[in-house]
Amino acid sequence: MKHPDDKRGQHCLKSDNTVFSGGLNYKRRFGYAWGLAAPLVCTLIDWPLRYWLGPASILMTYLLGVFLVASRYGRGASIVASLLSAPAFAFYFARPIFSFAIHDLENIIGLVVMIVVANVTGTLLEKSKLQAELARQRESLASALYRLSRDLSTAQDHDAVSRIAVGYIREEFGADSVLLTVDPENRLQIPSSLPLPAMDLAAAEQVFVNRTAQQDSNFAYYPLKGSRAWQGILIIQLAKPFPWQGPELSAFIDTFCHLIAQTLERLQFAAQAKEATLQAETEALRNALLSSISHDLRTPLTRIIGAAGTLIENDAELSAAERLDFNHIVLDEAQRMSELTGKLLDMARLSSGEIILHPDWNAIEEIVGSALNRLDKHLKDRPVRTVLPDSLPLLWIDGVLMEQVLVNLIENAVKYSPAGSPIDIGGLARDGRCRLSVADYGPGIAKDQECKIFDKFYRGVAESEQSGVGLGLALCKAIVEAHGGTIQAGNRTGKGAEFVIELPLRDPPQLAEPEMPGSLS
Amino acid sequence: MTKSHLILLIEDDIQTRRFLKSSLNHRGWRTVEADCGKTGLAMLNSEKPDLVILDLGLPDMDGIAVTRRLRQLSDLPILILSARSQEQNKIMALDAGADDYLTKPFGSGELHARLQALMRRISRGIVNQEIFETGPLRVDLTRRKVFVGENEVRITPIEFRLLAILIRHAGLVVTHRQLLQEVWGAEHIHDQHYLRIYLGQLRHKLEINPARPKYLLTEMGVGYRLAVEEPSSRS
Repeated sequence: MKHPDDKRGQHCLKSDNTVFSGGLNYKRRFGYAWGLAAPLVCTLIDWPLRYWLGPASILMTYLLGVFLVASRYGRGASIVASLLSAPAFAFYFARPIFSFAIHDLENIIGLVVMIVVANVTGTLLEKSKLQAELARQRESLASALYRLSRDLSTAQDHDAVSRIAVGYIREEFGADSVLLTVDPENRLQIPSSLPLPAMDLAAAEQVFVNRTAQQDSNFAYYPLKGSRAWQGILIIQLAKPFPWQGPELSAFIDTFCHLIAQTLERLQFAAQAKEATLQAETEALRNALLSSISHDLRTPLTRIIGAAGTLIENDAELSAAERLDFNHIVLDEAQRMSELTGKLLDMARLSSGEIILHPDWNAIEEIVGSALNRLDKHLKDRPVRTVLPDSLPLLWIDGVLMEQVLVNLIENAVKYSPAGSPIDIGGLARDGRCRLSVADYGPGIAKDQECKIFDKFYRGVAESEQSGVGLGLALCKAIVEAHGGTIQAGNRTGKGAEFVIELPLRDPPQLAEPEMPGSLS
Repeated sequence: MTKSHLILLIEDDIQTRRFLKSSLNHRGWRTVEADCGKTGLAMLNSEKPDLVILDLGLPDMDGIAVTRRLRQLSDLPILILSARSQEQNKIMALDAGADDYLTKPFGSGELHARLQALMRRISRGIVNQEIFETGPLRVDLTRRKVFVGENEVRITPIEFRLLAILIRHAGLVVTHRQLLQEVWGAEHIHDQHYLRIYLGQLRHKLEINPARPKYLLTEMGVGYRLAVEEPSSRS
């Protein structure tokens, strides 16, 4: 991996706006060498031609040399070249030859012009080079900002934003940094441990309170201002060879901070919007639940109060048979309420939070048997056909919860199919999964409702005589999924609805001492 | 029953006590009442009851602690009545020494079935039962033979031991822990798969439809219960 310091030389702006580039000293020395060599080369070329060329022409060749040096290597080298060209010309070509003295005014003017031209050209070239370098630098910063904003736009949480920001600062400046964000109450979240060594968290907090950027010997602190609230603070460690001034840089940092603040703000808004939607949904669900519960509880209560009230008020007028009848009503309705209350409590317990499994090895046949046993009263004369091969392995599941799933499914089948029609329960193990099905001979499930019926508080018919809160199937789904399984609703062609559960299989446990089947000793 | 049995009723809710007393007296039981754990434990000596009905939610002590104390003091059958319906509560009470558990609210029919099962346990303690019968199932406990209807069924020693324990607690729930400990020993009390396999085998041998058993019932998450057909005709 490349050390971040490797890049430092390339992307750093110095306070005097001089731009450094990689291999810069070498290039400069090379320039000065050419500054020295150019007059020498001119002299060597002009010496054999001295009888044919006039001093003005010779001076022009020197000027050409200086100009070429200036154009390639800048002002310093061109001055060297011009200052060296002057004595070379005076010594070899200007009369008197082999003396530095110059007699002709023409030659003196020529030399002065040459020095001035060299100087001006060099300066101009240097300036344009600097401009080009600055433009390149700006372009690189702009593209860095562009990439940052592109990456930030995909960030989904504070951690991602923090990771991206820190990554960019490392890449662009080779400096370590930390992003501290605010919590939903707009308080700065102070980490329990120092994210960077020797960091001053108190100073960070102070900066966040004061809302102004600040810098000490080791760190620079930038508060992040969103459009409505302050979103956090960016802390950059100041590495030694790293001067932090210059309008380019501060503008860049400003934009950088602004981008991060905006992203954080976007995340905050998104979270708020999500919460609002969730709250509205929960509110709707709660209302649905309350209305269905109050209906289901009030009906039996009305009957109990009515029957008991009649028994007390009209005690003398009632015949023994009537009295018994009213008492039966009270008992039946109370039992109905008791059953419903039990169910509601189960639902409340299971749907209040994440489902916690207490898995153990369980036999499907046993769970089916137990579920059917619990539903004895509901099933009455319903024929139940179970097809569970002896080869079904034990399953690593929570027996109590899986029994609840089967109870809900069987109860549903009873509810939504005609009286006396059979219910089929089947089991099958293949491809490392166990497939369980509960099917009825009712009208089946409407086309577009196969998924909806697993939603919380969803009931096939909004106001039906079927009691229930529409949590049963949602709960089944939650329980089966907690086991790493799937549950699906569908229709069997020409028959009725079928619910299919698929559960993963695990290697069955070993018995410590397999018993030989045989007679008793 | 020559002399009616005495039930100690430990329950803090006065209305519940009232209807329990009335229902129990009506069925020929005598009752004494205690409204808290301490009084109940004291009455164990003063009243010499034959059976205890205990509510878990008492004002002065936890019902589980009362159960433990009762078990230390006597071998009386204990029936728990509680509004706590979670399996964990049932297991705790049963493992603390209770003989059965009834969740509130319950019907009086259910209560009397449980009480009768408990009383059978007492009477068997006195006269060692040799033959157990329920429905078509007949088990000769001394000769270790099992019949369904007229046919003898061959079962393995482990299956027989499981069946014998369930018969000893006929009508009552036996926890997984109790069964595992008695048949396989204390080191196997967490190996529930043993029970799944052997109870499954027993059901296949003894039940008409093992997927909808009538006798070897599962109390999911708690244990097993051998159902007994209403023995109204028998003494």
